[in-house]
Formats: sequence, C-alpha cells, structure tokens
Amino acid sequence: MIATGFAVTTLLLSVALGKSARRNKIKDSPYECGMLPIGESQPRFSVKFYLVAMLFVIFDIEVVFMYPWALTFRDFLARDQAAMVFWSMSGFVGILLVAYLYALKKGALSWES
Amino acid sequence: MSIAFIILLLPLVAAASILLGIRKKANLSAYVSVASAGICFLLTLGLIRGSGGEAGAFTWLSVGGLELKIALEITGLTRGMILVVTLVGLLVHIFSLGYMRDDAGKARYFAGLSLFMFSMSGIVLADNFAMMFIFWELVGVSSYLLIGHWFQKNSAAEASKKAFLVNRIGDFGFMAGILLLWGATGEIGFSALRETLEVQTFDPSLLNWAMICIFCGAVGKSAQVPLHVWLPDAMEGPTPVSALIHAATMVAAGVFMLTKVTFLIIAAPVAASVIQHVGALTALLAALMATQQSDIKKILAYSTLSQLGYMVMAVGFAGFLHSGEAVGAVASNAGFFHLYTHAFFKALLFLGAGAVIYACHHEQDIWKMGGLIRLMPVTAITFLIGTAALAGLPPLSGFWSKDAVMAVTQNSTPLLIVGAITAFLTAFYMSRLCTIVFFGKARSQAAREAGEVPLMMRAPLVILALGAVIAGFEFAYGWFIAPADLPHPHGALPLVLTIIGVAGIVTGYLLHRGREKDPIRVEVLVRKFYIDEFYLFLVRVFQDGVAYLAKAVDQLLIDGLIVRGSARLTVGVGLLLRGLQGGNLQRHVFLFGVGIVIVIYLITIALG
Amino acid sequence: MLPYYLEICVVVLGSLMLCMELFAGRRSRAKIAMVGVAGLGVIFALLMFAVCSPGEDLQYWGIYHFDKWAAFYKGLALISTLLVLVMAREFAPVFKHYTSQDEEKSGIGEFYCLPIFVCSGLMWMASAKDLVTIFVSLELVTMGFYVLVAFMRRNVGSLEAGVKYLILGALSTGFLVYGIAWTFGVSGTFNLEELSVVLAGDDIPSAPVMFAFALLIAGIGFKIAVVPFQIWVPDVYQGAAMPVTAYLSVASKAAGFIVFLRVVDPFLAAPSIREPAIYLMVFVTCATLIYGNLAAIAQKNIKRLLAYSSIAHAGFLLMALPALGAAGTIAGPGPESAISFYLAGYLLMTLLCFLVLTVVRVATNGEDLTALEGLGKRSPFLAFAMLVGVASLAGIPLTVGFFGKFFLFNIAIQNAMQNGLWIVVFLAVLGAATGFYYYFKIIRAMYWEGSVSEGEVTGLKVGRLAMLAIILLVVAVFFFGIFPAPLLGLTL
Repeated sequence: MIATGFAVTTLLLSVALGKSARRNKIKDSPYECGMLPIGESQPRFSVKFYLVAMLFVIFDIEVVFMYPWALTFRDFLARDQAAMVFWSMSGFVGILLVAYLYALKKGALSWES
Repeated sequence: MSIAFIILLLPLVAAASILLGIRKKANLSAYVSVASAGICFLLTLGLIRGSGGEAGAFTWLSVGGLELKIALEITGLTRGMILVVTLVGLLVHIFSLGYMRDDAGKARYFAGLSLFMFSMSGIVLADNFAMMFIFWELVGVSSYLLIGHWFQKNSAAEASKKAFLVNRIGDFGFMAGILLLWGATGEIGFSALRETLEVQTFDPSLLNWAMICIFCGAVGKSAQVPLHVWLPDAMEGPTPVSALIHAATMVAAGVFMLTKVTFLIIAAPVAASVIQHVGALTALLAALMATQQSDIKKILAYSTLSQLGYMVMAVGFAGFLHSGEAVGAVASNAGFFHLYTHAFFKALLFLGAGAVIYACHHEQDIWKMGGLIRLMPVTAITFLIGTAALAGLPPLSGFWSKDAVMAVTQNSTPLLIVGAITAFLTAFYMSRLCTIVFFGKARSQAAREAGEVPLMMRAPLVILALGAVIAGFEFAYGWFIAPADLPHPHGALPLVLTIIGVAGIVTGYLLHRGREKDPIRVEVLVRKFYIDEFYLFLVRVFQDGVAYLAKAVDQLLIDGLIVRGSARLTVGVGLLLRGLQGGNLQRHVFLFGVGIVIVIYLITIALG
Repeated sequence: MLPYYLEICVVVLGSLMLCMELFAGRRSRAKIAMVGVAGLGVIFALLMFAVCSPGEDLQYWGIYHFDKWAAFYKGLALISTLLVLVMAREFAPVFKHYTSQDEEKSGIGEFYCLPIFVCSGLMWMASAKDLVTIFVSLELVTMGFYVLVAFMRRNVGSLEAGVKYLILGALSTGFLVYGIAWTFGVSGTFNLEELSVVLAGDDIPSAPVMFAFALLIAGIGFKIAVVPFQIWVPDVYQGAAMPVTAYLSVASKAAGFIVFLRVVDPFLAAPSIREPAIYLMVFVTCATLIYGNLAAIAQKNIKRLLAYSSIAHAGFLLMALPALGAAGTIAGPGPESAISFYLAGYLLMTLLCFLVLTVVRVATNGEDLTALEGLGKRSPFLAFAMLVGVASLAGIPLTVGFFGKFFLFNIAIQNAMQNGLWIVVFLAVLGAATGFYYYFKIIRAMYWEGSVSEGEVTGLKVGRLAMLAIILLVVAVFFFGIFPAPLLGLTL
C-alpha cells in the first residue's frame, strides 16, 4: 500500500511539477546543433556483417565455456573422473570443429563471393 | 472353437476374402457371401437347440483393473436374436442375388453384407459392453457403406453421411454411459453387472445418468426421436439392405441392447421413464408422418420407426413402478417379442416393396403404381399378409406381440392411449399403401408393364410370409421366451385392438379407393414436422456462427493472411516485412501476453 | 551400453550427415536422407535391444535420467524423426522450388541434418528431470525448429511462419526462464524430485509458487499448444513445409508433454498448491477443447485444419491431468500411461496423414481441401491410407485412436466420479463428436467431391520408401487398434 502510494505520488508529482518542454521543430530534431542527419536513420548493412558477427559470437561464447571447464578440471582429476571430463570437452570441441568446417567450406567466411 | 464363434467369424472371412481376393469376380463373390450366410443359418439352428452359457472367453486386454474380454454369451434372448439375424440375413442375401444381378458394384455390395452380418452377430453375441460397443460401431460403418452403395447418387452419399454423423452423436453418449457404469460398478460384463447390481446398491442418480447415456446409443441406432432423421434417408440404399439393416436387424440392435440391460433399467427408474416416453413419442410421430408419404420405402421406413418406438416404450416399462414394484423383465420381453415378430413381417414388407420397385423399373412413388395384384399376385398376397400382421389382425404374429406390448402399457393410461392411436394409424397407412399400390388401375406405363419377379426373389417372400403368420405362436417363440414371462392383457384389450386394426384398414381403404392423389393433405405431416429443416437450420446457424467466430479470430490474429493467400507464393520478402509492421506479429505477442495475464489472474483467484 | 550413448550416436550421425553435405558437391543429396533414415533405424534398434532395460530409474550426474518414460519418448522421437526424413525426401521437389533448383545452393542437405539435431534435443528432453536440463534441451529443439520452419526461403508463408515462431518462441522461453527462476527462488533447487519434497512442506508460501507454476505452464504450454498459448499454431503450421509441420505437431508435442508431466507433477503432489493448480489446469483444458474443436470446423486449408485438430488433441490429452496424483484409484491405465499411449497413437496417425498429404502436395501443388478432391479415384491406395489416418484421429474403433480416447475418457470419467470436474468430460464428449464433423470434410473431399473424368485417372507417384512407410503406418494403426496391449505395455 505504501509502496504503491509512493509510486503513484511521485509519478503524479513529477507531472505536476515538471515543466513540460515547449515543442518546436528544432527541439524535435535528433540533434539540436551540428549537421543535419541525412539518409535513413537505420542504414542497411550487408548481411555478411551479421554473418561474421554471429560466427564470432558463437565461437567466442564457446571459448568462454572452456574457461570454467579448465578451472574445475583439477577437481575432477582428484575425483578420478578425468576420462569423463576429457571426453565431454572433446565432444564439445568436435562438434565445434564440424561446425567450423561447415562454415568454412560453405563460404560463410569468405568476404568476396 | 464353439459354434457361436464360427457364426461370428464366418461372415468376416467371407467379407475379407471378397475384398482382398476375389472382388474382380462378381458372381463368385456373391456366392461366397450367400454361402457364408447359409452356413451361419444352419449353425444357428444347431446353436438354438444347444444349451446356453458362455463360449470361449479369452482376455483381450488387461491393464490395472481394466479387463476386456472377448467372450460370447448365449441366453434365450441371444438365441432369438441370432435366429432373426441369420434367417433374415440369409433370405436377404438370396433376394439380393436377383435384385442386384446387374449391379456394377456387386462384389462390394456382398462384401458389405457379409461385413454387416459379422458386426451384427458381434453385437448379439457380445458378453460385455466394450465388445458390444466396438461391434456397434462396426455395424454403423457397414451400414454406412451399404447406404452409400450408390455413392454416385448425391442423395445416397448425403444419406450415408447423415446416418453416420447422427449415429455418432448417440454413440458418444453410449460410450460415456458405458464408462460411467464401469466407473460406478467396476464391471463391464453383462452377467457380472447383473450380479453386482443385485447384491450392491449404488447411487441411483449415477445409475440414472449412466442409463440415459447408454440409451443415447439406442436412440441413435434405433432411430428414436430426436435422432430419427437418418432412417428415412437411409432408404437411399438398395432395398434388400433396407429390409435387412433398416427394418429387421440393425435398428433393432438398440432395442436388443436395452432388453439385454433390463436389470439396469429396473435399477434406474428415471431413465426408464425417459425411455418409455421417448418410445411413445417416436411411435406416434412416426405413424403420423407415415400417413402422408408417397414414396413406398419412406412409408415403410416411418412405419419401422413407429414400431421401434413401440418396442422401446415396452422395454422402458421394465423400470415402471407398479404399486411400488418394478414391472421388470416381463415388459422388456414384450418389447423383444415385438422385435422378433416385427423382423419377419417388416423384412417381408421391405422385400415386397423391393419386388414392386424392381418390377416397376425402379419407380418408388406409390401414386405411379396401381392394380399390381393382378400382375404380380405372389408379391401382392405376401405383402398383404405382412400388412395384416403389421396392423395386428389375429391370428397373425403382429397381433400377439402388439397385444403383449399394449398389455404392458396398461400400467399407464396416457401411454396406452398413445399406443392405441398409433395402432389405428398403423393400420390406416398400411391400408392406404396397399389400396393405392395393389388395387385400382395402373397409374403409369411402368405399372402397366410390371410382371412377377423371378423365383430367387419370390422364395424369400413366401418364407417370410410364413414367418409373419406363425412367429406369434407359442411353438415359434416359446424356445427362447417362456410364455409365462410375457405380459398378458387383461380386460377386453385384444378385442379392442382388433377392432382398432380393422377400423384403420377400412378407413384407409374407403378413403383411398380409386383416388389419384391424397384426399387429405396435411402439410405439416408431409414435411415431417419440419424436423429436418429445423436441424438443417441448427447446423447452418451453428456452422455459420463458428465460421464467423473463427473468421473473427483469424482476422484478429492473422489480419489479411487470407487476402495475401494467393499472392504469397510469389511475392518477396518486402511484403512480409510490411505485413509484420502492420501489427500482425505485435498482435500475436500482445495476445500471448494476455494469455499469461489470464493465467496469472486465475491463479490469484484460485488462491483466494 | 549406457543410455546416454544414444544421444551421442544421434549427434555423431548428424555431424556425419553434415560432412556428407559438405563434400557432396553437385551430387544428389537424396543419399544423405537415406543415411539419416538408416542411422536412426540403427539407433532405434539400439534403444530397443542394446540399452539396459529401463525397469529401474537410472541416474547420471543428477541431470540425466533413464526410466521407462525416457525410453518410451526417446523411441517416439526416433521414429518420428525417421518418418519425417522419409517425408522430407519425398518433399524435395517443393523445397527446390522455393529455394534453388541447384541442390548445392538449396541447402537441402541441411534440411536433412537439422531434424537429427532436433531429435537429439527431443531425446534429451525425455531424460531431463531438472529444470536446467529441461531448459537447455528444450532450447536445442526450439532452435532447430526456428530454422526448419523458415527453411523455404523463397516462400513468404514459410518466412512469415519463421518470424512468428521465432518471436513468440523467444517470448515463451523468456517466461519459462522466469518461471524456473521463481521456482528456484522459492525452493532452492532445480531438481524436480527435490522440488516435490520442498513443495510438499508446510512452510512453503503458496503465492510465489503458484506464480512460478503459471509461468512454467505458459512456457511449456507454448510447446504443446494449449490455449491460451496456441496463437502461433495455425500460422506456423500453415506456413512451414509439410514435413516440418508434421514434425512440430508430433515430436515437439510428445516431448513437450513428457516435460509437462514431469514439471506439473511436483506441483500437483503438494497439498497446499494442488487445488489452485488443478483449477488452472481445468481452465486450460476446457479452453483448449473448445477452441481447438470449434475453430477446426471452419477451416479449408488442410494444414490449418490439422493445426486446430492438434490443439484439440492437446485438450484431450490434458483431460487426464487432473487425475494425476488424485485421491482414489483408477481402474485401467493411469494418466501417464494413457497420455503416452495416446501420443504414440497420435504419432502414427498424424504422420500417416502428413505422409499422404506430402505426396498429394508434391503432385497437385495445393494445400486446400480441394487438393484432395477425387483422391479416391486418382489413387485409391493413398485415399484409403488417409481415410485410416483420419478415422483414427476421429477415434473410430479398431484404430489406435479409439483406444487412446477410450483410456483418456476412462480416466477423466472416473476422476470426475471421485472428484467432480464433470465439465471437462462434458466438453470432451462434445469435442469428440464435433471432431467427426471436420474430419468428415476430408473424407468427403476425397471420395465424393471433384469429378475426375476417366482419362485423368492416373496414379500419383509415390516413392518406394514413402510407400513402405505408409503401408507400415496403416498396419500399425490397425494393429494397435485391435491389440493395444503391446504398445500399452511399454507405458505401464
């Protein structure tokens, strides 16, 4: 109740007290000074950028995943589960490798074509 | 393997061998089918002399307390019914050899008949509800195939569709009823149920609901009001099929099932009362409609409806409390007795009508016939015998069974009056039919050229006529219902009924003698109380309503997807994006959010 | 052989196929599909014969379980993926039409590989018994479907469906994660078994638990298409390629249901939460039954019709849920068994219908009911197969659909008798009766409508593998409709 009351009150207060900005053409423009923006506000990029960015994110995240693995590797060794932990990472990297090969062979990384 | 199992499976073997093997050879197919029916009949003769009991039970499915068995139960009722099924079935098979001689789909037709024989025997012999239900559905399917035999004809296709859909409505009630009963008692076999109900008492309202649901199945299959609409339309099928399925056997399955669960009707008095009144209503309404039809098969169809109403009414009286005590099995025996005799004379009438139609080059309008008694005397005389039996003239079979039914209704005066009026109407419309078709002078070229039908078709008529005469005597039914178990009319009821029957016949004859068209025309009866129109209206309103609703939802959700439908195959991605910006997807997401809000809101309510 | 080797095998198979696609060059890709079919067949055989019997509940690292349900649903996933590959192979001409005639550029090889990876996710879902594993495997499946749905890149419908599925799927995933977070916040555990212990305790606050429950229902309800989270279904089903639609409606739904059952179970088992949870479930069930059945009536596009019918089937399946953990015993198979049996039957009949539709689609280039007109004359075999599939969907005796409905109704009625809730039974009976009406439209189109003159009577071309699959499915629909015991036995 108090929380709601507080929220409502502050919202109402800000409307009542705050000076509503006077609108005019200059005020509504993206930048009040400097160059006038020309062209679309959201310029188009070639899809290749997205592709590369996506591949980067994927492989990057996968490497991030390896870091905690490396940290806990010693614990697993101590618990005599080295094989399991080794093969699961191998499988992971293996899948990654296939994906990498696929992207490479399909020409996802070649800028020219 | 007991005899009963062979009776059950032989037609299936015949149907399968026709469908899978010899269907190209139409004549061979026909003979295989007829032979299977013949052997079944002979086996039945053996069966009905043997002792009762269960035959060869084996477990079909057993899961945690649910046990489905394949088992056959042979009681007095079963024997009476299986005799009707195989005898009428055999005669119809033979008749069909003549009637369907030149039909293109002969092999398919006989396969359908055999399949029907299999399913019908299954209903009759089943010893538990689960098995009965499955055969119940199979009967529906085979009947559907046979009604739609001439599926090139639009009306036949429509009729078979209607029959199927209407029956489904009843069947779902039936299944719900079976499950209810099973849930309440834990039993699904007939004998086990009977024993359980004797020793234990159950919540009566539950039993009433269960029985009403089960009765829904009978309403569908035995074409009681308000699901009667499919039966007259089913006359689009070949006439022998009408005789077998839509007069003697399948439509009687509902009555048979009710008779079989008499013990349940006794335990559920409210349901019993519903059953009586539905039956009485059907009997009266159908008889009224029959008086104004002009298609010979339609008249007989409505007559069948009316007689089925009689039977259902009688069976319903089993739960009638007469000075504190249920009338009991006596009432259902009366209903079954009428079923038994009716099977003979109604099959006779249908086959007779088939012969007339065959002779008049597939003309079915009675106003285009006339004077046929001189041209086809055997058909005419057997038909008249059937008519007299249906009208309840002594000493023919119909007299005895109708007496038994009316004796039961003596418990309740309003229903007795309804029964009496129906009896008068029955005699009236049958006399109208005979007067127009067989007497007077021919009204069309086809009727003038008619001649007696071949022996293959005459013989079944004669045999059935014999049955129609003697089936009501004790020696013909005593082996499955002891006469002591039948109700006996008190007072002057038989005499009154006879007078009513004669009066109906005389009125019908005098009114229609030498006429060219109906002297009395009652529009509401001709149009069958507008029930079909009403249903059509209902369906249309419902369908349109749903379509409208769905469209509204679609438009809300998809917004123009349909408009783009044809173009979307070719137009590129730009359109897609525009469509998306149009708010289409946003609306989806919005609705998804609304769904979640609803769910959370409900939870808060539920938590109180 | 350890059970989790199965998933590894599937992933290896998928990678192998991907490599084949890589080095196939300009050669035909049909062989890739064949490798997939054969590989899945072998893995299925391994599941049946080589993996230790699932009598006991095997656990690995607390995140992977192998019990009878896991085995059953893994089998469903494998079979449906296998059949979808058969279907996809049949569908190849249409793919090429909407992508590229050049097999290398059309990416059709990828289309054969993706279901394999989805399959591994589905199999993982069947074994998941803690919320994180559920989430990860669910996402693996959903990711695969995002691509599959939008696969026909030159078809606006497919793209539109893809975008819709992506956005709404992401939204539902968001809710799922939120629900998991709340659950964890309340109970301090991800493990469903521990969760049930915690929830059954006395000192658990019911409001946040119910909030978590609602969010979880929203997240998983999306996958199994229950109202009010069904909005995506008609559009996506209509837009996606035929094999993908089939895959969505069968495999995704089956795996969704096993997860649903597992997630709902601890909540229903907790006494303080049971009542409101059931209340919510009943609402969802009723809404699903009404919406699915009624909306299907007016449809003219077959895929849309089947989409609504799949919503309706989800309603029938939900009908058994209130009986889960209810007081009183139920004769016959329990809710989980009945649901599993129904899903298996649903797989058979739905894939049968879709296989036939795929063949028809390739031949006639149409997806409306009119495309089926005259099929009874053009190809009696296909028409019969479709008839069997539709009859089974409608629940006619002697088909597997009948026993499925029978068991579900049995549970619902017995539960209603003990605990009330007749409204669900009532709506289900109505819905099943309505179902006949719209399934009948398909039959009518096949046999009675559309005049085909004698000259036109030519058989449709059916691939040998597809033919075999159709025959096997027809036989299976009948066989399990007459002898349900073998299939039911797997679920008990």
